[in-house]
Amino acid sequence: MNTSAKMILVLTLITMLSGGLLSSWDGFTAPKIEQYRLEQLRLAIGDVLPTHDDYDKVQADGMTFYVGKDSNSTVGVAFQAVGNGFQGEIRMMVGMTPDFTEITGLSVLEQIETPGLGTKIVEDPTNKSDPHWFTNQFEGVQPEPKIVALKNQKPSDDNEIQAITGATISSKAVVDILNTTIDNAKKIYNSNKEQVS
Amino acid sequence: MKLFLIFISAAIVNNFVLSYFLGICPFVGVSKKLSSAVSMGMAVTFVMTITAAVTWLIYHLILVPFNVVILEYVSFILVIASLVQLVEMFIRKISKPLYDALGIYLPLITTNCAILGLALFAVLRDYGFIESLVYGIGAGVGFTLALVIMAGIREELELANVPRHFQGAGITMIVAGSLALAFMGFAGLISI
Amino acid sequence: MAKKTPLSREFVKGLWDENPVLISLLGLCPTLAVTNSAINGIAMGLATTFVVVSSSVIIASLRKLIPHQVRIASYIVVIATFVTVADRFLAAFTPEISKALGPYVPLIVVNCLILGRQEAFSSKNNPGRSFLDALGMGTGFLLVLFVLGGIREILGSGTFLNLTVLGDWFAPWMVMILPPGAFLTLGLLIALSNWINERRVNA
Repeated sequence: MNTSAKMILVLTLITMLSGGLLSSWDGFTAPKIEQYRLEQLRLAIGDVLPTHDDYDKVQADGMTFYVGKDSNSTVGVAFQAVGNGFQGEIRMMVGMTPDFTEITGLSVLEQIETPGLGTKIVEDPTNKSDPHWFTNQFEGVQPEPKIVALKNQKPSDDNEIQAITGATISSKAVVDILNTTIDNAKKIYNSNKEQVS
Repeated sequence: MKLFLIFISAAIVNNFVLSYFLGICPFVGVSKKLSSAVSMGMAVTFVMTITAAVTWLIYHLILVPFNVVILEYVSFILVIASLVQLVEMFIRKISKPLYDALGIYLPLITTNCAILGLALFAVLRDYGFIESLVYGIGAGVGFTLALVIMAGIREELELANVPRHFQGAGITMIVAGSLALAFMGFAGLISI
Repeated sequence: MAKKTPLSREFVKGLWDENPVLISLLGLCPTLAVTNSAINGIAMGLATTFVVVSSSVIIASLRKLIPHQVRIASYIVVIATFVTVADRFLAAFTPEISKALGPYVPLIVVNCLILGRQEAFSSKNNPGRSFLDALGMGTGFLLVLFVLGGIREILGSGTFLNLTVLGDWFAPWMVMILPPGAFLTLGLLIALSNWINERRVNA
């Protein structure tokens, strides 16, 4: 067999064997990976919405809503909010009341902020009694006209939250992302009411 | 505007070498002389841009529609290996001296983690075609930047009294660490 | 005919004398990227060892059949296949670690250490020897990652293998878990290994 033919044959054989092995491996691992992904999603939604039986996934105008249902009545709506933080992208899950007047919960899914400073938006080890104080304080916040982050001051109005000392930019980034996304989500949700309820 | 942000992010704020640790092998190997650093940087930028384009096409036009995303790594690396082969032949034809200057480092571009890394990241971030291209160019420029700065410093180090055990890789790592520290100052440069 | 190196030597050489990271400076990308904790270092080390061992054994078994001109392409396909297997395995069975190691697992494909072993060893030796060579190199790689990860974790987070070892009195050196810390620690480790080797030669 001449060299060129042998070259092509060997390479094709190896690639085919590789393809075969990988397809079966894919079949074996893909369901487990998908299962984990759904579990994480369920946990994130559970974190930000009031107790509910199940959720409906609804897509409208490029946005995905997770509508929490408790015996057929809507208890809240969750959706993802993404934007630029200080070091990179911040991805969060927000939960709101069905009329979009109040935040029911906030959870940070992904971020790569400065360890020890910006990462306090997820967990603050210096606050022993409530390490998740930053996201917890968003519960009950009313985003009208917009959420405001205060520096070194305790919030007094329903639309105010306190920024993390030493991580003002990360804190403000979270607030900016929420303001933009909530505005957007509210518009899309309300204009597609029939589809989502 | 978003394209500009992608470019600046890849080139400076999240520099491929100093923030993501990609492309370290040539970073240590080729940064001894300024001229070879520049040539290598340009060759890598060129390969990166084309790789960004081709891998985007393969992922979105073949892998996803045919549900064979599991072949992502195999197909991407084969694309890169072929591209480098082509670039090698191309450079050899248009400039033999450049080809000789780059020597063994030209085929080694295939194993440059920065290139595969670029292709994988662009897919992960769900960039569009043009965005991937800009990302590739930005990453290449950033790589070249890090390489050139490092080469400049190393040329100076030739005249310095480096402790015996640190000579070579040791001092290069320490210098890289200082550079990485400096580049951290760029964080927050881009915000919405 | 030259005397064949003893089998045990094939394994041991990868641990120190020909340590892929400290001596040959291979596989630096993942070494720096995932060693922000000891566990991540170990996980990456194990994944890489799996890939280099599997690839070496397969390639050594096929070495007489692969034409010279397509050897690099063949090695690459084999390596990329095993990396995909490892990556999917981690994602399916240890999702937390998979998230921590992130995109650096697929980058094992271009870890010069693995391709280097195929070119330098597996293409010229039988599967048995190649297995030992690969295992030694992989273990040497894992050891360096473990040490680097351990140092960075202890100084950068005050923990080791996720257990707090330095109490509240210690203010963590944040820089250790960030890129600069990685470069600096590796530089010091390389210098240290050079120093140790020099003493061994002179002893």
